[in-house]
Amino acid sequence: MARAAADGTRAPAWRRALSGWVAIAVVLAVLVALMYPVALLLGLPLARTRMDNVANWVRATSTPKPLAAAPADPEAGAPAGAELRFGGAESLSTGRSVLVYGDRPVDATYDLEDGAARLRDALAGPLLEWGEALTGPLDTRPSGDVDASPPGSPAAAGAAASNGAAGHVFALPASAWEALYLGGRLLVAGAEEASERADGVLTAFTFPEAEAGPVLVNGQLLLEGEGFEADGRRVELRSPAPFNARVRRVSGDYAVLDAAAGTIALAEASAEAPRAATATLAAVERLVGEVDGVNRVFHLQHAPLVESDPDRRIMLEDVELSPAAERPAERVDGERKAFTFTGDRGVVTVNGVEALEGRDFGRAGPVVTFTVAPPRNAALRQYPDYVVNDPAMGVITLAKAPAPGSRVWAAAYTYYDHPACGSSEIECFLSMPQHPMPFPHWIARRIPAFLTNYPLSDSRNVVRATLYTAGGTLTALALGGLLGVLLAIVFVAIRPLERALLPWVIASQTVPIIALVPVLLLLLGNAGVTVQTSLVPAALIGAYIAFFPVTVGTVTGLRSVDPLSLDLMKSYASSPLQVFWKVRFPAAVPYLFVSLKLGAAAALVGALVAETESNNRLGLGYAIVGQVQAGNVSDVWILLLISAALGIGLVALVGLLQRFTAPWERR
Amino acid sequence: MPEAPVIIDVQDVSKLFRVGKVEAVALQDANLQIRDGQFVSLIGPSGCGKTTLMRLVADLIEPTSGRITVAGRSPKEARAAREYGYVFQAPALYDWRNVLTNVMLPLEIMGWPKGERRERAEEMLRLVGLEGFHRSYPWQLSGGMQQRVSIARALAFDPKLLLMDEPFGALDEITREVMNFELLRLWRQTKKTVVFVTHSIAEAVFLSSHIVVMTARPGRIREVIEVDLPYPRDHQTRESERFFELTTRVREALRLGKEGEGASDGGHASGGTAVGGSGRTLAKVGH
Repeated sequence: MARAAADGTRAPAWRRALSGWVAIAVVLAVLVALMYPVALLLGLPLARTRMDNVANWVRATSTPKPLAAAPADPEAGAPAGAELRFGGAESLSTGRSVLVYGDRPVDATYDLEDGAARLRDALAGPLLEWGEALTGPLDTRPSGDVDASPPGSPAAAGAAASNGAAGHVFALPASAWEALYLGGRLLVAGAEEASERADGVLTAFTFPEAEAGPVLVNGQLLLEGEGFEADGRRVELRSPAPFNARVRRVSGDYAVLDAAAGTIALAEASAEAPRAATATLAAVERLVGEVDGVNRVFHLQHAPLVESDPDRRIMLEDVELSPAAERPAERVDGERKAFTFTGDRGVVTVNGVEALEGRDFGRAGPVVTFTVAPPRNAALRQYPDYVVNDPAMGVITLAKAPAPGSRVWAAAYTYYDHPACGSSEIECFLSMPQHPMPFPHWIARRIPAFLTNYPLSDSRNVVRATLYTAGGTLTALALGGLLGVLLAIVFVAIRPLERALLPWVIASQTVPIIALVPVLLLLLGNAGVTVQTSLVPAALIGAYIAFFPVTVGTVTGLRSVDPLSLDLMKSYASSPLQVFWKVRFPAAVPYLFVSLKLGAAAALVGALVAETESNNRLGLGYAIVGQVQAGNVSDVWILLLISAALGIGLVALVGLLQRFTAPWERR
Repeated sequence: MPEAPVIIDVQDVSKLFRVGKVEAVALQDANLQIRDGQFVSLIGPSGCGKTTLMRLVADLIEPTSGRITVAGRSPKEARAAREYGYVFQAPALYDWRNVLTNVMLPLEIMGWPKGERRERAEEMLRLVGLEGFHRSYPWQLSGGMQQRVSIARALAFDPKLLLMDEPFGALDEITREVMNFELLRLWRQTKKTVVFVTHSIAEAVFLSSHIVVMTARPGRIREVIEVDLPYPRDHQTRESERFFELTTRVREALRLGKEGEGASDGGHASGGTAVGGSGRTLAKVGH
């Protein structure tokens, strides 16, 4: 009956074990699933901050939009009803635009929609003035000239990359120009910076939007299939970009390759050189606001503005307004009311707030007299032409209200266009280079590369480091286990010794190992041990914390023998040694294994701390600290998982040992 | 029929336990003689000193006063000579040994050669009806089976005496009856002297050749009753008239012992308490 029961329990036991694993797997799955909301909870606020900070935004420049196609006869002008297209003027509308030629507004009546203006009246010429043609292509290479120039030299930069496919690089004319045309078609400039920073090793770069076009590394042009392989927005360079190199991709028709040398790179090769136009008819942004001779406040059409923008040019008709600010000659001491500026007109601001003439101050030429003295050390400024009151909203106040009918327009200004990380919080979260808590599948994806980053023969290989630490921990456990068992036997055999030593044993565990390790390392170092490459510190520190649970557990185990068992042994007239080996020790074995499992976990902690403090690069402890310092969050997580797996594995190993040495415990 | 030799001789034995400052008399002036081949049950209420008496005989404790002889020697010598096997209330099997090695334990301690140990243990397990369970661990066995292993272990080294301290106390009634039959069979097969502590009157009557009735506070031997039921005993024995008479007698002895100790004393001889083959029942309860 009992045998049947014993046999009967075997199959369910098997199934019970399986269902146990299923339960563990379910909990694991739940934990992994929980990591997603937690990752979002921790990451989204950071993404929000990233999005809100305009420093992380992509900048854009509003410039005149030249004619998209060069007219056949620019001198002839355009008849009424003619349609003129302007490149990139899609955002402009009739009321919010001005047509200019050079820096001079043109008197034209038109309807502008979708970048095309239909003239109501005829427009007298000229519409475009041709300048010089560009020189080039510079990257045409006579055959047989392969590798003639030394790599790295400026001449080689374009040439080496071209590999025979010529016609990308042209030199700009020395004189000023307004637009470039190729075959009568306007060339639009555009280049995107790579999301990654070139560190001298990285070869893979991604671009926020550009999915085609050549790549520019510093002043060097790389073509797809030659200098790099492309996969959508991701490119893989043939050779790593130099440290801190500027990696861009041509997203428009061309990009400036080398500003100092005056070269450009075309997105598509051309045998024909583009031609520069020194002046074209162009659509430009009009400032938004009433032009009634009274209103001085206008809006730019794009905001927020880049505050210190050297390119900003605000025009009133054909006159450029000065962005300059004047400071008073006198110190603002909080008592003085009269201040002298260089100019005798302009907007006066106190700490950025406009003061009104007649109410806040009176003017006598360059001398401004306040009714109330400005506070001490207040920023007192006079802007002769205009002041940017509110960069965030793009508000500008002119010093003098423009006369009715006059046109106020922006020839150029830079603004923050959109967050570089994406248009939504979640997009920004996903594009973050480091997450406080990465998504589990990101961590998982990183694992194979992490494990195989270095060959097994390299000491930096993680598998090797794990085995090394495992070796240290097992040594520690063996030492600690032996010491623990011996102490326990002594304690049980000789009670006075226990009373004398036990307080010290307990006290030994109250010493923080983080303080103990350096002392031990010093001692070992003086004893001639190279602690940076030795297992000894890990083994000793691990043993130091592992022996305690073993001692306590084994003492309990040795004392756990039930009195009947001892009576039985007595009835056999057995010797004390027999009592120990046949009863006390076997009875203590389950306790011993439980404490060995605790000891294994403790020894691992000791080994990791010892490795870290001794700068032992061979082990896992150093790797963890290294990755934390490098800020590779995913790798830190992987190392955490590896450490956890190592701990579980070591405990399981003890369990396996128990199965073989103490099979009676298998219930 | 010649009288069998006295194998256990308890003379004026008292045992005091001291717990802190309180002294408890566990056994007072016990006199008892047990002859070879007898099955003697010690019965009495809790605290009457049954177990104390057994432990004194086994030299697990020492008497405060008086003298005990076991097989002609002092208990200590008898223990060293492995004269008795002890079966405790609990099976006291070792978890880390399977059935076979548990039975082999005393043989190991006594230094038997390995082959003989095994043979002997297997024989003992056959005797208690546990062939085929050699490799089982104690936790895989039922309570009755565990106690059988414990008996096999006690018999393994062939002691003259089998001391059983309420071995079936923890078993259910049905198992207990089965074990009683088994024990009787064993006793008749091995011809050992058995001293058996029990709480159960029916069990005592059914098993024993003699019943030693004890009373509590202080623990004394009140009376020894000879059980003249014929062996082999079976189910019919339990239903016989004599069985009921004897159980009634034991019960009365127990009750008298409890109600009026001093009053009933006079009715009994105050010589040595002997469990003899003479058929005469003697009891001596203190002075």
